Amino acid sequence: MIASLNGIVKRYDSKLVLDYIDLEINEGQIIGLLGPNGAGKSTLIRCLTGMETVNQGNVTLFGDGKKPFQNKNKEKIGLVTQEISIFPELTAKENANFFAGVYGLKGEERKRRVAEALAFVGLAEQTKGKAQNFSGGMQRRLNIACSLVHNPKLLIMDEPTVGIDTQSRNHILQAVKQLQSKGTTILYTTHYMEEVEAIASEVVILDKGQIITKGTVQELIQNIQHEEKIKVEVSHPEEVSLANIQALPDVKQVIKDGNQILIVTSANSGHLDRILTIIKEDSGVVGINVEKPNLEDVFLTLTGRTLRDGGSV
Amino acid sequence: MMRVLRTIPYTLIRMSRDYITLLLLLVVPIILITIFYFVLGDMKNQYGDLAFYDTAQLMTLVFQLFGGSIVIAYIQDDLFSARRQRILVAPMSLPLYALSISLCGMFFSIFLGFLLVLFTGVGLNVEWGNVFWVMYIIALLAVLSSLVSLILIFSVKNIKLAERLSDVYGIGCVVLAGLFFPIPDYPVITFINEYLNPLLLAANAISYAQSNLFSDAYIYMFRLGIGIVITFIIVYVLGRRKI
Amino acid sequence: MTVFHYVLKRSIANKTSLLILFLFPVVAIFLPSGEYWPHLPYGYQYFGIFILFISLKLSGLILEDRMRGIAKKLSIAPISHFSYLAQNLLAYFLILVLQCLILVYGGVFFGKELYQPFWLLILFLTFSMASIAFALMWISFFRNKEISMLIFMSMISVIALIGGVLIPIELLPEVLQKVAITLPTFWLAWGIDWIIFGGEVKEFLLVNGMLILYMFLFLIIGSVKKLH
Repeated sequence: MIASLNGIVKRYDSKLVLDYIDLEINEGQIIGLLGPNGAGKSTLIRCLTGMETVNQGNVTLFGDGKKPFQNKNKEKIGLVTQEISIFPELTAKENANFFAGVYGLKGEERKRRVAEALAFVGLAEQTKGKAQNFSGGMQRRLNIACSLVHNPKLLIMDEPTVGIDTQSRNHILQAVKQLQSKGTTILYTTHYMEEVEAIASEVVILDKGQIITKGTVQELIQNIQHEEKIKVEVSHPEEVSLANIQALPDVKQVIKDGNQILIVTSANSGHLDRILTIIKEDSGVVGINVEKPNLEDVFLTLTGRTLRDGGSV
Repeated sequence: MMRVLRTIPYTLIRMSRDYITLLLLLVVPIILITIFYFVLGDMKNQYGDLAFYDTAQLMTLVFQLFGGSIVIAYIQDDLFSARRQRILVAPMSLPLYALSISLCGMFFSIFLGFLLVLFTGVGLNVEWGNVFWVMYIIALLAVLSSLVSLILIFSVKNIKLAERLSDVYGIGCVVLAGLFFPIPDYPVITFINEYLNPLLLAANAISYAQSNLFSDAYIYMFRLGIGIVITFIIVYVLGRRKI
Repeated sequence: MTVFHYVLKRSIANKTSLLILFLFPVVAIFLPSGEYWPHLPYGYQYFGIFILFISLKLSGLILEDRMRGIAKKLSIAPISHFSYLAQNLLAYFLILVLQCLILVYGGVFFGKELYQPFWLLILFLTFSMASIAFALMWISFFRNKEISMLIFMSMISVIALIGGVLIPIELLPEVLQKVAITLPTFWLAWGIDWIIFGGEVKEFLLVNGMLILYMFLFLIIGSVKKLH
């Protein structure tokens, strides 16, 4: 086990941000950490890396529960920050050299690691370019290189692909997989479900400061596979009585979206006929689609569809 | 400690590439001093020396007052912005890193002061007296201004406000010294100028040394030194809490 | 006039801005007078530089709009580029008018020797127009508010020195006097001399005419480049 959070409670004044978090990170895993805005993902990362103190519980890093944040443990952690945190006035090579020096690399080893890190993120040809002249994608890749230069055992990536082009994003995801194959353990937070589906060996979903579920992507999908999602396209959506559909047993959610009615029911409820009958009383049916759940469905089912910042759908 | 030391070359590289700072603290004073060179020409002061010498010396010292802005800018950049997280996670002492940035800022400010002394002394024939003494006084002034800036960073919530207050400190010293307009002879202002105004303390330390009145020069140097000690203690107390 | 209304609000949104904008003219009233020069109290002599500084600070809002992408949004809104700029500049001018009124008539109230206060006010107002236009031109060359401000601060001390604000222009070498003519502060200094020593009306009209000419020139340069 590389790292663990045991019974972690974190408050900011009276606001409870992390509520008894228990999380184990095992060697060689890629853990996808998901959660809506304000769930506590960034706070969890800050507690895991020692940037924040915890009110209760303890953090263990590399088997060290007494002084987890001493330098010898910090040397083994890399953090890819959500904001680009490189020096714009330094070249790519100088940026990597700076962080290599900070992590104790010297001489030939430093030169070698800097070259490797920059090549790994596809910046081998731009080592002499100043970071301020790079595109957004290149800056993000340099941001990652600076976190990899010291060959960390645990790499924490906080939304590393925000706002970048598809090529750069793809490159980053491939790089993450390569890192895992070399033995690096990765904690990866993102809002993009498809990224987690593509790379994560385990998914942890955080909401309102609590871990509401964890497991592999398949395990999580199977847990809600007891649900069916039926999309019905109708000709007169304003005429359709949603209440009548909602009143059916085993119907969990009914949402109108333009001229589509989305109905979430228990699996094998056998309500398709009755649903169609209700709809046809008020409107014509243009098309029907029954969807298999994916990670996004798991996420939305567990965390709800309501906006977290005071809005409503 | 070694890891912090390894960051120093990069901090200095960053400062040397900061064209705005070089414009503000090197190019502008060179331009202003040169204009005064032509304006004042052969005009003499009450002691029979060229009036331009006093002006050149004062202007060189004035821009040292604003050297603290270098420290503010880099402390803000590294410790109060997005980069803070990366620095916090790194296996090096944050207070030591903050100290290294501050020392680099002070050194850079002193270096710019040295370039101005060189320009005025060699290019415009300003008589500075003992160059080592002058550089020592400039160093004290740069250190004091940087420490004042650090106090502002650590005691004010908003970094922009700290920057503005740092400007107020510099402009305030210049105004109190009577360089913009004559200041009335109130006891409070006289006291401030005699014991607290770093610009006048430094100017007097240099000018008394030039006149070989070393005991007076040492007194002003000593007052600068006391200021440094007091501000350092305040910075230490405030800094540990903040960082 | 939505943009005008909100620019005014944004300009005086925080206490620091309010303090800087309206405290300085009050403080300037009470600054002392020089023995031989300047002939007006120092606060009035330096007010031109203050106007330049405030003009740039206020027009920084336009740069902020550009930096935050608001200018881009407005470019596809039903508001012309001309209307957007005009409303901004009008708001800034209104603030400067208030400051000039406080300075001049505050000075009259406290018995300061201003020679011809009404013409001094007119001079400050035309200089304000030229300053706002200069600020617009200045920011059109920059994308970043901080950098534009910092470089301007470095320029302002040089402008103040050779423009006749800090020392009389007559003391400058001939070459620099010729350079000074190209600066709006030169005409402000000339206008102040007219107010103190008197002279023909056409001289004062020339001064104000030049400042208005500067205003149009800076406005044209500053508004050619679309802000998005």
